[in-house]
Formats: sequence, structure tokens, C-alpha cells
Amino acid sequence: MRIVIAEDAAVIRDGLSLLLTSRGHEVAAAVGDAESLYAAVAAHGPDVAVVDIRMPPTHTDEGLRAAIRLRRDHPGLGVLVFSQHIETRYAAQLLAGGSEGVGYLLKDRVSEVSEFVAALTRIAAGATVLDPEVVTQIMGASRRGADLGALTGREREVLALMAEGRSNTAIASALFLSYGSVEKHVTQIFAKLGLPPSPEDHRRVLAVLRHLDS
Amino acid sequence: MSVRLRRMSVSRDPPAALARVLGYALLSLPMAATGLVYVLVLLMSALGTALVIGAPLLAVGLLGARGLAAVERRLARVLLRMEVAAPPPFRPRPGLMGWLGSALGDAAAWRAVVYLLARPPAAILACVAPLLLVPRAVGAALVPERLLVRALLGQTATSARIRELEASRAQAVDDSAAVLRRIERDLHDGTQARLVAMAMSLSMAKEELADAGRGERLDRTRELVDVAHRNAKQALAELRDLVTGIHPSALDQGLEPALATLAAGSALPVDLDVDLPGRPSPAVETIAYFCAAELLTNATRHSGARRAAIELRTRGRRLRLRVRDDGAGGAAMSLGTGLRGLADRVRVVDGTLEIDSPPGGPTVVSVDLPAHT
Repeated sequence: MRIVIAEDAAVIRDGLSLLLTSRGHEVAAAVGDAESLYAAVAAHGPDVAVVDIRMPPTHTDEGLRAAIRLRRDHPGLGVLVFSQHIETRYAAQLLAGGSEGVGYLLKDRVSEVSEFVAALTRIAAGATVLDPEVVTQIMGASRRGADLGALTGREREVLALMAEGRSNTAIASALFLSYGSVEKHVTQIFAKLGLPPSPEDHRRVLAVLRHLDS
Repeated sequence: MSVRLRRMSVSRDPPAALARVLGYALLSLPMAATGLVYVLVLLMSALGTALVIGAPLLAVGLLGARGLAAVERRLARVLLRMEVAAPPPFRPRPGLMGWLGSALGDAAAWRAVVYLLARPPAAILACVAPLLLVPRAVGAALVPERLLVRALLGQTATSARIRELEASRAQAVDDSAAVLRRIERDLHDGTQARLVAMAMSLSMAKEELADAGRGERLDRTRELVDVAHRNAKQALAELRDLVTGIHPSALDQGLEPALATLAAGSALPVDLDVDLPGRPSPAVETIAYFCAAELLTNATRHSGARRAAIELRTRGRRLRLRVRDDGAGGAAMSLGTGLRGLADRVRVVDGTLEIDSPPGGPTVVSVDLPAHT
């Protein structure tokens, strides 16, 4: 994978570069602000960009706006956005432009390096990855409490993992179920929530989140 | 003769006379009540109208008097070169009654009224002055006018003090908010980032160790653990600096030991001269310490000095801190040396900061603080 990193803390930037290169990926550029990010993506044509939300000059949401713009200008580019704190509205803004090849993680997730690299790979392949914390907050804040109440405990677990962007296979291994059981649960969930079944994983993330947010 | 006639009418016709007299007696109470009510209503309406019309009239008039006073102050400033600070502006309480009450109770307005009443004699004297055509006499003739303006149209000591306290309290609140924001930023950008990087290295090290047994992987692991270790030490040092920035532990022993530590740790050689018989209030100790620290940093960074000196003296109930350096001078409040911030901080405890920094040096910054808040 060819990767561009945008992160203003040098320590983390260097750590990420080290990590990704040690896994055999190419870090085409590691920059510290949004302007340099645009330039680097234009110059190197990476498969995925890793972007910190808080960057100079204002240290508020430069990274998020950069991510949204990059997704508009470079359709095939995967973008993983990470921040120190969860803001569910950032997730919503990010997904507003479509859910294919986009991810939002807490910086803490970076401390599990293999998971992080796996998430990046999935995003480069077009999947959606949402931090479990985000999903928990969205589900907790959802006004569809009644709908969620109609689901069984197991179905809620499957729903949460779906919302994180996991594939059926991944859900099966996470919950120690068979692939077939997961498929059945998914069908049930979609039926109970009144959603049409979605063919692709990233689309169903969007469907689920739209439903929860409506 | 009329008296006899009356007596004769009563004695000749007792029942009719008694009826008449009784009638009057019976009527007298209702008549009295009516009469009383009438008089009360009359008085109250007269009073009420006076109040209802009079009070607002008075209130508006008082505010007008303030306006006149402002004009007088302006005249005095422009023509007599007299600077008289305006009293606090009129701040009415909410509601109609609140407005009325505030206007009628406004001290500055009443003082303006007194001024307007007391002024005519002084004005007559002032009018006479031009006729004398002697400058000294004109000046002398205007003295009563000047006295009146200064006494009645300016701020009272209390309101001036209140203004000052309001300003410095607002400053203190802003200050602490800014400090907290700065701490959050420093923690986020510095310490948290470093800890995330450390977590990453350790995670990688764990994975390497999971595949341990293969000799060459152990070298990689050693490298990673080394990086993590260095990050940990650095994070601890940064955290320590950050905490010291909030409250240095040296201050717990006292201002003198804290200044000694400051001097010892300074890049510039510092001559320390402290005369501090007792311990000031903690807030004063903190401010004095931070002033000394900041001034010393300025001297080290901006002035190109070779030596610095810190002097702390007690004068009665006040402390005087002086930081001197032999550098290039030219220090001023307006430049980005943080002197403005120090002056504001010092003001919060009723202190003052003075800069004596001619171009070419040397620079002496004097901070005067009360020993106890």
C-alpha cells in the first residue's frame, strides 16, 4: 500500500511511519498540516491517507475538512481520520460524502498496531471502519430506541459490529459464530429495522447509521 | 332675648326638638365617614399625582443633570486642561420601578445637582475675572470653579476603586481561563502525543516478542523498547515542567529558597540578594516567583545580557522585587516579552510593575507588591 500520513505531533508521525514501513508498506509522505497533505496526495497518488483531525493552524477540525475535500477530489482514495476524542458529528460529516473507503478511529486504537494496520488495509480496499466507541455513542444517542429494543442481545452485538464496518466473516470470528448464523442475524436485523438488505458492507454501514440517526 | 326664645321653643315642644337632635346625631357618623373618605381621597390623589408625575420627572431631570455635568467636564478638559474622570455610567436596574429607583438613587446625578446649585457664586467670581485683565487674577478667580468641578463632577474614591477592582477581577478570570487552555494544549500536543507514540512502540515490541525465539528479531525488539523507554523519560520530563509551570514545589519552602533554585538553574549567572524577614501570602509568593522567573527568561533570551541580578526587599508592608540585567535594553510593555501579562497579573493583587530600560541597557524591572493580600 502507498500511504500518506498527516499528523502534527512529530512523535506520532514518526511512530506511524516506522510501523507502516516495518509492515512492508510505502509511506510516500508524512506531513504536519492540511495544505501539505493536499500537495502530497496530488504528488504521490497514494492508496490511503491517514489524517489527524486536529492540525495547525487552528487545531480544531482542519483534518476533517481536509479528509472530506480529499474524498471529493480523489474518488479512489481511502481516508482514515483519527482524533483524540470521539465526536459523533465528525463521523456523520465524514460519511455524508459516502461510506466507501473511509474510516474514523480514536488515536488510542493506534496503540494496537496490528488492528490499526488491518483497518487501514480494509479502508484501502473500500470498506468502512468506525471506532467501536463511535458506534456505542451513536447507538446510545439514537432515537430509534424502540427499534433497537426489538432486537435480541445477540442481534444488537451483530448490529454494532456491522456499524463498525466489519464483514460477516469478521463478525463471525469476533462473536464466535458460524458464518451462516451471522447471515441469518443480519437478515433478521434488516427485517426488524425495516431496511432493505445491502449487498456491500460499506453500504450497510451507511444504511445502519442513517437509520440510527433518523 | 334670642336665648330666651330658644329655651322657650325647646321647652314648649320637646318631642320635635329631640327628634331633630337625634336625627343629627344619627347622621353625624355617616357624614363623618364620607367626609373622612373624601379628604383622604383628595390628599392621596394629590400626593399620588405628584409622585406619579413628579418621580419620573425628577428621575429624568437627574439624568439630565448628569448630561450637563458631562458637558461641564468636557469644557473643563478642553479649556482648563483639567482631567476629571467621569463617574461610573448610569446602569439602571431592570424594570420600570428599577429604572426609577436607580435614577433617583444615582449618586453621581445628585452630586451634579449639588454642583449646579453651588456653582452660581463661583461663576459670578469667574465672570469678574476677565474684567481684571490680569492673568494671575483670572487664574485665582477660577479656583472656586475648579474646586467644584473636581469635588462634584468626578469619581468618588469608592467608585474609582470599584472600577479598578472590576477590571482586575475580569483580568484574573481571563487569565485563569487562558492558563487552563494553555495547559490543555500542552498536555494534548506534548504529553498525550508522546504517550500514544510510546503505546505504539510497546505494541510493536509485544508483537515482536510474540515471535521471539528467532535471534535477529530480538535486536528489533531491543530497538523498539529503547525508543519506548526514551519516550517515557521524555514524557515524564515534560510533565514535570508542565506541573512546575503551575506551581513549583520549591515555593513550598518559601520565596527565598525558590528564588535561589531559580538563580542556580539559570543559564545566566545571577546575583541574588534577598531581604525577606517573614513569609508573604502564598498568592504574593507565587506572583513574585513567576515575575522573577519570567523576567530572568527575558533577560536570558532577549537582551543578550552576560549577568543578571535579582533583588528582593521588604519595605513596611510591601515587597519590592528588582530584576536587573546588563543586556541591550529597550524592553517595553508593548513588545512580545510578556511584560504586559506580568503587569496585569501584578495588578490583580494591587501591585505595580515599572520598566527602566534605556536603549543600550542596562534593564531594571521593578515589581512592587503588597506582602499580604
